[in-house]
Parts: sequence; structure tokens; C-alpha cells
Amino acid sequence: MTFVEYTWLIPIFPIIGLLLVALLGKKTPEGGGYFAVGGIAASMVLSLLVAYEFLTGSRDLQTASLTWLNLGGSFQLDMGYYVDNLTAVMLIIVSILCTLILIYSIGYMHEEGERKRRYYVEISLFVVGMLGLVISSNYLMMFIFWEIMGLCSYLLIGFWYYKPSAARAAKKAFLVTRIGDIMFMVGIISIFASFGSLNFRDVFAAHPTDTTLLAFGMFMLFGGSIGKSAQFPLHDWLPDAMEGPTTVSALIHAATMVKAGVFLVARSFPLMVQTPDVMLFVAIIGGFTAIFAATMALNNPNIKRVLAYSTISQLGYMFLALGAGGYVLSQGLVAEGSAGFTAGMSHLMNHAFFKALLFLSAGAVIHAVHTEDMRLMGGLSKKMKITSFVMLIGALSIAGIPPLSGFWSKDEVLATVYNAGAVNWAFYLLYVMGVVTAFLTAFYMFRLWFMTFSGHESEAAHHAHEAPKVMSVPLMILAVFAFASGLIVLFGFGGVVFFQEADVRTAADVFTAVFSEWTTYVSIAAALLGITLAYLVYKKKSVSLDWATKGACKKVYDLLLFRYYFPQAYDAFGTQVIYGLARLTDWFDRKIVDGAVNGISFVAVRLGQVLRKIQTGMVQTYAMVIVGALAVILLLMYVFGGW
Amino acid sequence: MIPEEYFLGLAAVLFVIGAFGVLTRKNAIVVLMSIEIMLNAANINFVTFAAYRGDITGQVFAMFSIAIAAAEVAVGLAIFLNLQKQRDTVELPDLTLLRW
Repeated sequence: MTFVEYTWLIPIFPIIGLLLVALLGKKTPEGGGYFAVGGIAASMVLSLLVAYEFLTGSRDLQTASLTWLNLGGSFQLDMGYYVDNLTAVMLIIVSILCTLILIYSIGYMHEEGERKRRYYVEISLFVVGMLGLVISSNYLMMFIFWEIMGLCSYLLIGFWYYKPSAARAAKKAFLVTRIGDIMFMVGIISIFASFGSLNFRDVFAAHPTDTTLLAFGMFMLFGGSIGKSAQFPLHDWLPDAMEGPTTVSALIHAATMVKAGVFLVARSFPLMVQTPDVMLFVAIIGGFTAIFAATMALNNPNIKRVLAYSTISQLGYMFLALGAGGYVLSQGLVAEGSAGFTAGMSHLMNHAFFKALLFLSAGAVIHAVHTEDMRLMGGLSKKMKITSFVMLIGALSIAGIPPLSGFWSKDEVLATVYNAGAVNWAFYLLYVMGVVTAFLTAFYMFRLWFMTFSGHESEAAHHAHEAPKVMSVPLMILAVFAFASGLIVLFGFGGVVFFQEADVRTAADVFTAVFSEWTTYVSIAAALLGITLAYLVYKKKSVSLDWATKGACKKVYDLLLFRYYFPQAYDAFGTQVIYGLARLTDWFDRKIVDGAVNGISFVAVRLGQVLRKIQTGMVQTYAMVIVGALAVILLLMYVFGGW
Repeated sequence: MIPEEYFLGLAAVLFVIGAFGVLTRKNAIVVLMSIEIMLNAANINFVTFAAYRGDITGQVFAMFSIAIAAAEVAVGLAIFLNLQKQRDTVELPDLTLLRW
């Protein structure tokens, strides 16, 4: 028996869980949450079996699909699974995280009452979307699951829909990602136009004739990634998405859904590397977003918002790595390019673990103090020993302190970008941005940690209590992952997730390679500098940053606090440009299109009103016409002959 | 013997008088009477040709025509009677129910 053949069952289990929750949720404890956990745990078991079997086997591509729609000729749409190394690793990450976060949800959502059932239905549907996306065998199928996730994201951000801010945030997330989704769709159509198929296997094996069309398609595909993974300039929905429950933020807006954009680029890598310009664009957008989002995290007082900016920033790192790797690959440097691909994906994995850990820890804190404002927290480490400790692990990990996971992947990313600088100088610039981002990341993460857990015990902290077991146990498991998942980089991650050329070095070789590069010490130094600064400012309070809120710096401070006025820019864009365009088309529709139709009907009606007078309805008139006509005919026959 | 043309001329004059009546008169009964005149003009033609050509068919036709005319008048007058009862008029221009 081979488990891979049953890959298609993986998204089915959460559907069963979903149905059970929907039908029996009212009568079972926790709103049917245990059914949801059961469904997802079942798919986790199957996912792990599939991944284990695949990775320990020959690692040949396993794919199968059924014809879903056959619209004649080559126009055929399939449904199926596509299992390669990337899918296997993604399955492991996604299924473990979904299961852990769902178990945590049982504790976190305990006080929600009736609404719990809706939560578990929606989150189960989301898991269906994410797992389905990972195993998709073609772009259309991917798009369908992509949209399911978008829907669930909308529903779950607006979970507390009676709060106007949550309803607004849900709407914003839906509309902003829609821009990306439309671009994704255009990309899919371009791919179909180029290759006549949407199946990964066919598309990746083909050689496109029209590179301009391919580049356009890849650009549009990346547009979809920008929307889903909240990259500049479509990033602004993600901080608002924090209006949803923290578990949702952890699962959807940190660990899985926002990774779908990265996964899309990674999945499309065989096509992407054929278009160096697009790859360069990916790297630039990623690098810029990384530093751009990190600056906004520096002074935000909301614990979840800081983590949201951090997510955007870290996603930027992943795109930076993939872009740099793909670019050098397209220039013929296969080993370096493949290393970039590996770096991006390992950062995806590590980030998924440590960011889920950070969000869930933040959730435990919010659960305890009932506020998201870090200025009202402080001194929580005594009350919440476990939470503060696991969050410290997460913070050290994301800051990039060896040997925690974030260090390995972030270092790989920066090394790839630095090496790519030899091909194109732009990457040196992106490398500097990456290092600065590493410094900023360390600073704001430790600002968060010190503000929350250290210092004097605040008002809110008095009544705080440690999270229940159902929440703290998943936290501890995640902490182990966040601590150790990076070590996989040493032990063969590069030999599993790679593009074209596997990294077959031994752990010792990788270790010496990492620690013999000066770039490694630069990133460690940046991280330590950030942590030290945060320590001096927020713990020892020996360095004051009051100057930053006064005078000319106040403007910059506000600029960051108000997110570079992006919400206003979105609104202005919506009300001015889009609404203006809508008004223009409305005018055109009313005056020109409707005007033409109304004009034609007006002429017809008027003409009818005139012409119907001919038909008097009087028999005598008709008789007169007949007789008159007969007389005329007879007269003409008399004159011209023809009797 | 009276020449054939005299009969035909009489028929033509009667026909034109009948047609004029049909076309110009407003009263339905007068119009019906005018139609009868036109029919009789045709009957004169039938019997004339029957007599002069020695063919009995024309007389048979005339007989049919008279019988049908009688039936037609019966139906027509019944309609007019009902019209008078319901609409209080038999003037044709007043009957405009289905007209614009």
C-alpha cells in the first residue's frame, strides 16, 4: 500500500470535520471544536505518512488527476494531486501547525459561547483550502483553493462582525487581496495561452515560444502573491486583519495563508526562472517590503500589530531569497540559485513555526490581560512563566540568534542575496536592506518582549493568570519546533527542498560553511545590536528615545505610527480614482449606452404614432382604397393596353 | 329586342350607385341597402348573359345570389338591432371601440 495515492483524502478529512461541526456543533461541548480538531488531526496523520513515505522513497514526482471539465479539443481542466519534495515539506508544516493551533483554539475560544460553532466551521474550511492548495496539480485548482482561503480569511477577520473595526478590516482584506487575485487569474490565462495546459507537469516540461507572454504571465502570477502575502504595495490589509481572533491571526495571517503567495512563487519556480526580470522584481519587492514593514513595527503599541508588520517583513525575506535565487539561476549559477530557493523555503518553514508561537503567546497574554496595548502590560513574566519563556524563544529565533531556527534560514537568505550581488549590483543594496531589517527585527521583537513581560507589574497584570493546559501545551510543542526546526538546514534540508541541484553537503560542512562567511557575523552582530538597544531602552531605561517623539522626529514617528498614511492612500485611491472611474463609466452608461437605446426606441415610438393613423379602423376607408386602386389599375390598363 | 348593352349599362349604373353608397354613407342600414343594390346589379348581369347566351347557369347563379343575400340581410339586421340596443347607435363612425 502506498499512502501517496491517498493524498487526495487529505483535504477531505477537514470537510468531514466541518460537516460534523455544522450538524452536531450545538449539542457537543466546545461548539463541536473536537470534531474540527479530529478532522485536522486525521489529515495531519495522513499528511505525515504521505510525506514520510515520499521523502524516504525515491522522491520521484507523484501526480495523478481526473478530468474535471472537458470543453473540447485541448481545453481540459483537471483535478488531482501533485506530490514532490516541496509539497511533502509544505504538508508537514501546514498540517502540524493547523493541528496545534486548532488545539490551542479550544482553550482560546472557550468563552465565545454560541459563536464557537461558526468559528470551527470556518477554520475547518480554511484548512481544506490550505491543504488543497498545497496538493493542487494545476493552477486552476490552486486558484480555487486560494479563493476558498480568501473567503475564510474574510469571514474570520470579521468574526466579531458587530465591532465596526472588524467588519471594516474584513472588507478591506477581501477587497485588497482581490486585486492580487485578479492578477493571479490573468496570470493563469496567460499560462494557458502560452502552454495550452494548466497542469504543473505539462507546463513545467514545456518550453515556451513567446517569452514576452510568459514574462507577463509570471508578473501577473507574482501580483497574486503580492496580494495574498501582503507585500508592498498591497500590504496594508494585514495589520488590519489583526481584528480577528488571535488564533486566526496565528494560523491564517502568519503561519499558512500568507505563505500561499510564497508557495505560489516556489511552485512556479521552473517557469519563473525563465524570466530574470520578473525574478529581479520579486527580489526588489521582497527586500523593500522587508525593511518597509519592519520600520512600521518599531513604535506601534499594539502587540498583534507589531507581529503583523513582522510577518510582512519576514515574508519579504522569503520573496527576496526566491527572487535572488531565481535571478542567479537564470544567469546560469545553478548551485547558488538552488541555495536561494532552499533558503526561502526554509525561512518559510521556520517563520511558520516561530511566528505561530509568537502569535499564540501573544494570544495567551491577551487572554490573560484583556488588552492588546503593550503600554498597559508589563511585568507579566512572574505571572506567566511558561508564556514568557516560550515567547522569548520565539523572539530570539526571529531575531536570528544561533542556534535557534530563525538564525539559520535568515543567514541563508542574506548569504544568497550577498552572493547574487556578484551578478547584479542591485543585490548588494538589497543585502544592506536585509541586514538593516535584521537589526530592526531584533529591536522591535525585544521591545515587544520587554514591554510585555519585564518591568513593574502593571494594573492589568495583577489579575493575569497562566494559560490553561490546552493552550500552553501547543505553545511548548511549538517552542520546540521554533528552537530546533532551523537545525534541519544542517541535516539535509537542502537535499530535500531544492531546485535542479540538491545540496548534498554533510552537517559539518554546512556548519563550517556558515561560520566561515563574514556575512554570518554581520547578521549576528545586527541582531545583537538590536537586542542590546531594546534592552537599554525598555529594560534598563538608560537610553531614552524621547527625542524621537519631539520636534522634527515627531513627523517621522507619526509617519511610522500612521503606516506611511497607506490607509488614507487606499481610501483616496478608492474614493477618488476608482469612484471617479465608476462615475465616468456610470455617466457613459446612462448617457451614451442608455441614450442610444432610448433614442432608438423614442424614434420608433414616435414613428409608430404617426404611421398608425394610416390604419383608421374604418371599413369604408379600406373599401375606398380598394375601389380607388381598382379604378386606377383599370384606367392604366385602358391607357397602356392589356385588356 | 332590347340590345344586351342596355341591361349591362343598367347593371353598371346600379353597381356604381351601390358602391358610392357603401363608400360614403354613415348609417349602417343605408350601407347594407347599398350592398343589396350592388348585388342586384350583379344579378342583372347574370340573367342578362344567361338570356343572351342561352345558358341556364347564369339564372341558377342569380337564384343562389338572391337566397344568400336574404340570409345576409337577416344576419346583418340582427347585428344592427343588437348594436342599437347596446350602443344606442348604428352610425358607423361612432363604432370606435377597437380603434386608436
